[in-house]
Amino acid sequence: MTVSEQTMPKAAPRPSRLRRLWEGISIIFASKVAVVGLIIVLFWVFAAIFAPLLTPYTPTEQDYVAQNEGPSGAHPLGTDDLGRDIWSRLIYGARVVLVILPIGEDFWIPGGTAIWGVILGLLVGSTLGLMGGYLGGWVDEVVMRLLDAMMAFPVILLYMIIIAAVGASATNVVLAIAIVGTPGIARLVRSLALDIRTRDYIRAAELRGENPWYIMFVEILPNARGPIMIDAMLRVGYAIFAMGTLGFLGLGLPPPSPDWGSMVAKGRQYILSGSPWAALWPSVAIASLVVGLNLFADGLREESLRYQ
Amino acid sequence: MFVRDYMTRHPVMVEPTMSIVEAQGIMAEAKVRHLPVIEKGKRLIGLITRQRMRIPPTELASLNVWEITRFLSNLTVKDVMVKQQDLVTIEPDATLEEAAQLMVQNRIGCLPVLEEGIVVGIITETDLLAQLSNLLGGNVPGVRFTMRVPDKIGEFAKITSAIASQGWGIYASGGVPAPKHPGYWDIVFKLRNVPKDDVVAVVKKIEGQELVEVRETV
Amino acid sequence: MTEDYHVQSPVLKLEDVAISYETRYGDVEAVRQVTFDVHRATTFGVVGESGCGKSTVAFGIVDFLGANGKIVGGSIKFQGRELVGRSQAELRKLRGDQIAMVYQDPMQALNPSVTIGDQLAEVLTTHRGISKAEAWEKSIDMLSRVYMPDAANVMNRYPHQISGGQQQRVVIAMALLNNPALLIMDEPTTALDVTVEAVVLDLIEDLKRDFDTAIVYITHDLGVVARVCNYVGVMYAGEMVETGPVEVIYGNPLHPYTQGLMRCVPKLGSTKESSILYPIRGRVPAPKDRPKGACIFAPRCDYATDRCRTEGPKLREIEPGHRARCFCSEEIEAAAWQPPEGLVPELAPSVEVEEKPLVEVRNLKTYYEQESKSLLSLVGLGEKLYVKAVDDVNLSVPAGKTLGIVGESGCGKSTLAKTIVGLESPTGGQAEFLGFDISEPVSERDLNLIQELQMVFQNPDSTMNPSYTVGQQIGRPLRRFKTAPPNQIHDKVVDLLNAVRLDGSYYRRLPRQLSGGEKQRVGIARAFASRPDLVLCDEPVSALDVSVQAAVLNLLMEIQREHGTTMMFIAHDLSVVRFFSDYVAVMYLGHIVESGPAEAIYAPPYHPYTEALLSAVPIPDPTAEQKHIRLEGTVPSALNPPSGCVFHTRCPRRDMLPDGGKICEMEVPPWRYNTEEHRIFCHIPLEDLRQMEPVVTTA
Repeated sequence: MTVSEQTMPKAAPRPSRLRRLWEGISIIFASKVAVVGLIIVLFWVFAAIFAPLLTPYTPTEQDYVAQNEGPSGAHPLGTDDLGRDIWSRLIYGARVVLVILPIGEDFWIPGGTAIWGVILGLLVGSTLGLMGGYLGGWVDEVVMRLLDAMMAFPVILLYMIIIAAVGASATNVVLAIAIVGTPGIARLVRSLALDIRTRDYIRAAELRGENPWYIMFVEILPNARGPIMIDAMLRVGYAIFAMGTLGFLGLGLPPPSPDWGSMVAKGRQYILSGSPWAALWPSVAIASLVVGLNLFADGLREESLRYQ
Repeated sequence: MFVRDYMTRHPVMVEPTMSIVEAQGIMAEAKVRHLPVIEKGKRLIGLITRQRMRIPPTELASLNVWEITRFLSNLTVKDVMVKQQDLVTIEPDATLEEAAQLMVQNRIGCLPVLEEGIVVGIITETDLLAQLSNLLGGNVPGVRFTMRVPDKIGEFAKITSAIASQGWGIYASGGVPAPKHPGYWDIVFKLRNVPKDDVVAVVKKIEGQELVEVRETV
Repeated sequence: MTEDYHVQSPVLKLEDVAISYETRYGDVEAVRQVTFDVHRATTFGVVGESGCGKSTVAFGIVDFLGANGKIVGGSIKFQGRELVGRSQAELRKLRGDQIAMVYQDPMQALNPSVTIGDQLAEVLTTHRGISKAEAWEKSIDMLSRVYMPDAANVMNRYPHQISGGQQQRVVIAMALLNNPALLIMDEPTTALDVTVEAVVLDLIEDLKRDFDTAIVYITHDLGVVARVCNYVGVMYAGEMVETGPVEVIYGNPLHPYTQGLMRCVPKLGSTKESSILYPIRGRVPAPKDRPKGACIFAPRCDYATDRCRTEGPKLREIEPGHRARCFCSEEIEAAAWQPPEGLVPELAPSVEVEEKPLVEVRNLKTYYEQESKSLLSLVGLGEKLYVKAVDDVNLSVPAGKTLGIVGESGCGKSTLAKTIVGLESPTGGQAEFLGFDISEPVSERDLNLIQELQMVFQNPDSTMNPSYTVGQQIGRPLRRFKTAPPNQIHDKVVDLLNAVRLDGSYYRRLPRQLSGGEKQRVGIARAFASRPDLVLCDEPVSALDVSVQAAVLNLLMEIQREHGTTMMFIAHDLSVVRFFSDYVAVMYLGHIVESGPAEAIYAPPYHPYTEALLSAVPIPDPTAEQKHIRLEGTVPSALNPPSGCVFHTRCPRRDMLPDGGKICEMEVPPWRYNTEEHRIFCHIPLEDLRQMEPVVTTA
């Protein structure tokens, strides 16, 4: 069999790694909305990472002289009722949420409670969703009922029950976020799996006699990663918001940990007496981070759909 | 021979708000001389022709050069069209003769064909003229002859039986009252694939009729 | 006086039209230098492969280009009126009254929640302002004119209650209600079955005559063009490369691309040897890679000169009425063309028929249980309803040969394939492969058995996993079936890639970087990776362009001959099956109605359904004579197939039997054996069947 060069052209040259990276990133830049969101999120991430460099105070340093003060040269955002610098408490508070997860007394891993919570939720939720979507039949029924049961609880109530049951430590918060997020993720993955499983390459895999776990995790899951990632980003936002609420309700990380929600709770009393700062800035922080994540996710989604 | 079969369907049509300049352009581009004016749903409200677009000089007499230009460029089709109540129109099921009569009586060259007020086509004098030629077998080589016959029953049959007895076929035929000979009719016949002399020989023998002319056409 | 004494000015005149789309990376020119005229009562076909811009041209005429498309040059004149540059409001008025469009998917024009009668009447009440009752009457009238059976009743139904072919007729009726001067049809019959398509094409012919409409007909199917069009414009990569009357374009194409197209279109009615398909080498350039100062076809042209690469030819008149965009048309002699080396594979000789068939299927039934909606079924007492997708099928495939299975949608051919391969479980009957029982699904089969039975899929976009490279996906079967030791897998994959005519550099590509034809080839490589004994091809070329089809079909033949693989080839296109198969089986509503060697199927005696299929297929040859047999009605539901012979409700040959074919309703027909291998499932006796004339005769 002759193999002439004329009838076998080379494939179009593959763009270099750098170029592909650039093309991926440029999607973000094409959407102004996503860029705004990204800036906000990155602001908090860097503030959290470089916290010690960005403020001379520690989050627990109390100054009885300067209580409930407004913004000033010494304290850019003011102080709370115990004289602690609000700016410091904010950025150190961001650490636990976004950047560092303390496990036990001295051990920590990078990532932050919100992020780890969502990751854990992704793991469990994806598995359930894939099983329901691909295997179908009674497995699907069982999974769906389980999810229905979990979703029947109002989110905050679920959080409260879990935290009240196991106590409020960073790892427990991670667990709570995971449990609460699982049903939503599972439903998303299930519907993606239902669609993907009709594709011919899944038939081809079945024809090779591949076992179902291989098909679910190796063939189906990678093709669902787009919507899953965008959903995950939104969930980080929800998680942060939920943590804020928990903190507000007194179920957050125990004091003196600089939890944004409990900062709002503490500062609430002083709003009417003329010192709203202790409540205001943490609220702004929570809102901005959540909005930033939402904008980023939305912008990405719109941009990826635009030239369909 | 109904108007329906010979009219031009989907004529080029314009809206009343179109400027005359544009209408003239369309006429030139589409090579037509009549444009029905319609509103929504192809309902006829008027007609413009090349003639109508020539503004009578009296109207322009009082204007200077710039005003004339502006006047002309502002003119719309609505300003110069023949309005619908003055228009003569015809139905698709009418016969060609009726169309011809309307055109002659009203001295017009085209008739919009309407079905319940909607324009479905247009028929012009050119269409009728083409059919006149077809009616008498024009454009086809053969023998054409005219018989002058008295206005009596049975005269036509004499000719046709004479032709049929020879085994010939009649390609086309038509008759009109003989001009300047009241009481007589001129009937034209077109035969194909027969030699002229044979025809003349047969036809001359018919009683009471006169062979007015005969010729071979190409 | 002859017919056309009118001065004919065209209803639609396009001159040098260019249309661009805005994308993230700037403006991309989709179409340029498009020039053609359409006159009244003629159909102008715009034909080309995918991506050539023909739909863009159609939408551009009425400016339906969407938010990011715009006409950047040229003029479009409708009845003398310039359309480019008009506002949407003006165009909308024109669109309603004078220009109508019919799309490929009838549901794009039909509102699923409004009855058909209301939708039709609305067209008239809105545009003409007549009363609803009058509009209703006129709509019924128009429905009968498009040969809609039972028109008055259809008016009261919803679009989903009628079949696809009927929906398309409704859409055409809607388009004609306002008597438009121009009708634009964008692939209106592509989604329809062949027999339904034939009826709709007949309708379009009639309409031209009755309504005097000018029609622009967009399609990629050269057979359809030969049937309905008077003039043709061939488009390639956004340019119009040849225009002319249909007989001339087919009989004497002047542009090398058109010549190439004619060579790769399968033609019905010719013998197997003379119907080799010659693909066009190379690949269509993407819109951003189209050179402006050169002939756009030069990279793929066998006659390209230096001038062609440096100068862009203009569309010029080479014969009266026949234009081509080529510098060399006068010198090219199409009849003297020789295929370049390597274009068509040299086929290894065909194997001899062995004693034992590779696959044998007896009385196979695959029924799907229909979810019954009655309360009784909740408790398991209700009557079970079955969709009888495959009903009592017997066939056998000799080793090393190709069996083609043909039928329209719903005939069960895909289900049959899936049952044999193990993706579906049969409800009854036996199936044997290499002596092994294959009536269990894939998950229960032995790995060695699975390895021998592989499949090539229809849709190139879903046949590959988008997240993995070509090399990984071809390598997977090699790993799984341990066909090669791990350190040799890379080389084996490259060998396989070469076998499907792809360079080794494709190893690291992702599927989205490949064209449809390339993806299909990778699918073939993957199927053949484990050297299976039987490969099932489920419409492998239906989704591909004609020039790519030819290459993929040749490839399949080559591989089959080299490895001696047995193939089952499922298709709805009779001409493709003819070229490709040794044996053919025709299916209708779950049954095989005729089977035998390929030449026997295409010549009389025929089963009446085969005869109707053959007379419905549009042949890409305007001079060919084809019988005009049309089937009434629609395919019955497989939930409740007709008694006796399932085809009896639509059979046009029932009158060949005494009593108008009463027996067909009551008894299952016998098998008539024309030769030992050719059998027909019909009550009509063989001598009568042999009297039938051939359906297609070429001039």
